[in-house]
Amino acid sequence: MKTILMILMFVSAMSNAASGTDVAMIIERANLASFYAGDDGRSDARMIIVDAKDNKQMRQFVILRKDLEDGGDQRFLVVFSRPSDVKNTVFLVHKKVAEEDDRWLYLPALDLEKRISASDNRTSFVGSDFFYEDVSGRNTGYDEHQLVKEDEQYFYLTSTPKDPDSVEFAEYSMHIDKATFLPMLIEYRDQQGDVYRRVEVVEVADVQGHATVMKSKVSNLKTGGYTLLEFRRPAYDLGMEDDVFTIRSLRNPPKNWLNAQ
Amino acid sequence: MNQKTTDFVLDHPRLIFLVVLLLTLATAALIPLIQIDTDPENMLPESQSERVFHNTVKQRFNLHDMIVVGAVNGSAQGIYNPESLQALLSVANQIEQIKGVIDYDLMALSHVDNIVQEGPGTIRFEWLMKKPPQDQESADLLASYVDRLPLLNNTLVSADHKATSIYVPIADKNESHRISQDIQRIIDSVKSPDDYHITGLPVAEDTFGYQMFVQMGISAPLAGLMIFLLMWYFFKNLKFIAAPMIVAMSTVIVVMGAMIGMGYTVHIMSSMIAIFLMPIAVVDSIHIMSEFVEKYQPGANRRSVIKEVIADLFKPMLFTSITSSVGFFSLMLTPIPPVQVFGAFVGFGIILAFVLTIVFIPAYLIVLKESSLSSLQDIHHSRSRLSGAIKKLGQFSVANSWAVTAFFVVVMAISVWGIMKIQINDNPVRWFKQDHPIRVADQVLNEHFAGTYDAYLVLSSNQQDVQTDFEQQLTAVQSDRLSQWSAGADPSLGFKEQLDDWMNRAEDELFDATSDEQISQLEDLIGQLEVAQQQLAYFKSPSGLQQLIDLQQALADSGLVGKSNSLADVVRTVNRELQGGDAEQFRLPATQAGVAQTLLQYQSSHRPHDLWHFVTQDYSETVIWVQLTSGDNQDMTAVVDYLDEHIANEPVLAELDINWAGKTFLNKVWQEEMVAGMGMSLLSAFVVVFVMMVLLFRSLLFGLLAMLPLTLTISFIYGLIGWLGKDYDMPIAVLSALTLGLSVDFAIHFIQRARDLFAEHQDFAVTMKLMFAEPAAAISKNAVVIAIGFTPLLFAPLVPYITVGFFLATIMAVSALVTLMMLPAMLKILNKWTLR
Repeated sequence: MKTILMILMFVSAMSNAASGTDVAMIIERANLASFYAGDDGRSDARMIIVDAKDNKQMRQFVILRKDLEDGGDQRFLVVFSRPSDVKNTVFLVHKKVAEEDDRWLYLPALDLEKRISASDNRTSFVGSDFFYEDVSGRNTGYDEHQLVKEDEQYFYLTSTPKDPDSVEFAEYSMHIDKATFLPMLIEYRDQQGDVYRRVEVVEVADVQGHATVMKSKVSNLKTGGYTLLEFRRPAYDLGMEDDVFTIRSLRNPPKNWLNAQ
Repeated sequence: MNQKTTDFVLDHPRLIFLVVLLLTLATAALIPLIQIDTDPENMLPESQSERVFHNTVKQRFNLHDMIVVGAVNGSAQGIYNPESLQALLSVANQIEQIKGVIDYDLMALSHVDNIVQEGPGTIRFEWLMKKPPQDQESADLLASYVDRLPLLNNTLVSADHKATSIYVPIADKNESHRISQDIQRIIDSVKSPDDYHITGLPVAEDTFGYQMFVQMGISAPLAGLMIFLLMWYFFKNLKFIAAPMIVAMSTVIVVMGAMIGMGYTVHIMSSMIAIFLMPIAVVDSIHIMSEFVEKYQPGANRRSVIKEVIADLFKPMLFTSITSSVGFFSLMLTPIPPVQVFGAFVGFGIILAFVLTIVFIPAYLIVLKESSLSSLQDIHHSRSRLSGAIKKLGQFSVANSWAVTAFFVVVMAISVWGIMKIQINDNPVRWFKQDHPIRVADQVLNEHFAGTYDAYLVLSSNQQDVQTDFEQQLTAVQSDRLSQWSAGADPSLGFKEQLDDWMNRAEDELFDATSDEQISQLEDLIGQLEVAQQQLAYFKSPSGLQQLIDLQQALADSGLVGKSNSLADVVRTVNRELQGGDAEQFRLPATQAGVAQTLLQYQSSHRPHDLWHFVTQDYSETVIWVQLTSGDNQDMTAVVDYLDEHIANEPVLAELDINWAGKTFLNKVWQEEMVAGMGMSLLSAFVVVFVMMVLLFRSLLFGLLAMLPLTLTISFIYGLIGWLGKDYDMPIAVLSALTLGLSVDFAIHFIQRARDLFAEHQDFAVTMKLMFAEPAAAISKNAVVIAIGFTPLLFAPLVPYITVGFFLATIMAVSALVTLMMLPAMLKILNKWTLR
């Protein structure tokens, strides 16, 4: 049922694109394509954080997701496996569109469970060039979006924050693929109008009918560093139970979902 | 030979003028290529191990040059009030926008993260001061936050809450002048109740460069003017004294042009070349001209008078020029490149001045109109007031030779005592005058904060044992696999890099692995690689971090440092907040994994890269950032010595490689090099000059005699420095060798002339009487020219110039005086062996 709806929406989006698409619709589709594929999903993930001097750090984790509503609230569980000294470190996120997310953290070596409150979501995700927000999705309502132009392949959008004090960018622009609605390139500009941060999709694969980002890259043009995020063995619509995403999972991560399906 | 030269010169005066003019013009054309170098780091050769290490550390830990902006609020409330903080935020936000500022590393209350408790079981991460507090209550809350963060407390806000700072990292320190001006504009445009100060080494260096231009543009021409006026006083003939001025100008231009053309930068030392050469260059001319005036009568054959004068003076002039240049050339033995360049080019300049004098002055004198020389008849300098005093001095010395000698022995003894009291110390910020804004800022900020002077204590863990262990644990299959992987890799990779490389390969293969066997094999290998990596990551282990804490404690106990910051502070702070925020939780987690997980939280901030200022990504090397309230080399030396002793007494620390970096430390290094190098150059100059004296006079005794006045003079000056408590710093150090070369001139002229006169008259009393007529007058005239020639340095904007000016003038005066008193006395006492 849901798939049919998706296809319908997709087709309608395509036809709209041809005839001057509503910006809100493009943003909505892009948000769904990027963060809401399937009703739930899992993937192995690896981050390679590279600095300007080519020093590398690695983070490996499994990410589980369950949507409560398409385009709406979501649950995430991130369980680290490497480096071994952070093994079994767990993040649990209850993402909420209408209010601040609920976030929890478990640090096994300290046997410590904590609730985390953050002033904003533009903090580094575990030391990488990805922001927390890049992983969980930025609320589409935080910015004013404008369709600048389009060609056969992309919609070109420019977005400006409604509350400029809450973010470090002045604006960002996106190249949204017309076929998949995945933003293939996002560039953030500072007050001077210089691009200082770039998010690129490097590789896309079809997974159970969903165009899925398999590899993406965030570059920090100021520090000269970048982070590669690679996904392996993604799977959707696995029928994950709700209790996978409760604080009980912090100490006892759901082993069955952590392994490749 | 010089006869022929003089003949040639007198025959072709216009050719000489043309050659001198072309040479001067050609070198003058190179001067616009000038490049100013104000980096104190260049006091050390680029290949100096400490300097190389310092720069490696800077690179490895992403440490930038910093401009420090400080805001001070003297009121009882201090800096924590809405108005001050509003202004600070505005200033910091605008500074962040300046081109050339590394915004992501800027440190200010508004640009760093806070971690606080938010109810039970919840911690909150947020910008410390994203928006300014609206009321006093929130300002006080902010104060309570900062007081809890050891990395910020007393670094970003002073312990007394009176001052706050903004650390502005800049990409290129050559831009610091523009950036600091932009900062000043921003400060001026923001309404704030606080006093703002700008300091930091890059600003100091840049300001310094500007001041150097001022010095060269004002002091050097002033010196020229001074010399001109003096010569006017001596000769009262404009056309006549134009000649030595031309010689001096050409010398300065050719030397500066040659130096710049050869690609040498103009450093604090070489910026003084002009002012050094100017007085020295006219000295030979004064000798020729004085003698010419004595001997020339209207209507006399000018050509033969000139030839006679040159013949008389050639040898003493050659020798004094060589000895002076030896003094400067000896500076090339110091291991300080700017001092070497200075010594080399001043030495060269002195020789050049001699050559120019020998060829240009006769050529000039021969073409001068007869009428231009008529006024010279009125001058007979042996009748001047100065000469009268000199004459009395000579009579006194001869009459009381034993008393004079005894006096000098006592002076010598007191001087040596003074030398023992000399304090070796320097601090580039003190090169500015007391009331200079940089000095003021330096003083004010260091009064409040734990120190704006940085030194870095760098610790590296032992890798060899880890490697040996790792290699022993490998199975044959694993070994094979690793060597296979290494086959294509860069063979120069170290063990650490190899581990990373292998790990990436293994991870890659595992990420894509499908068969269970493959997976388990790879996982085993990864396990072993990880063990090795964990062992290498010594500063992720509680025991490694504990060593940092112990070292920091030792530094604190020494009472010599304001504050130190390390990775252990980061870990303990985050751990405390994770554990509920109580003070007793300010401790290290029990395990390495605990540390790793704590740091993972720290990295989930707005500024994850801050971590890499403290530790390398493999955690095998770490930096303790030491803040000092003084940039004095002496204070840095005390810290280094204290820690060396501490390390020697702590066997556990022997396992680690511990080294210093940071500009404050580098300053100490070049200071020590300077002292040792100056000793060497003084000693060698002394020996060379002594040998030359023995050769010149063909007498060991006269050689020794010639060395006596300058030995006493130098001892006296340094004794004086010791007694006055003035620090023995760079300019003072440089003085020793070069004064040796300058002050021996007086002795050469005195002894040479005394021997000539004695040979003529065969009577000691007559000789001395004649000596204190013309020759002593010429000597004292020269001393006056050089001494006064250096006095414009007293008006220079920078302290080292003033020091050099003051001491050189003093040295010239003292050494002329000593020569004129000591040599007659000694000659009288040693009459039997000397003049007989």
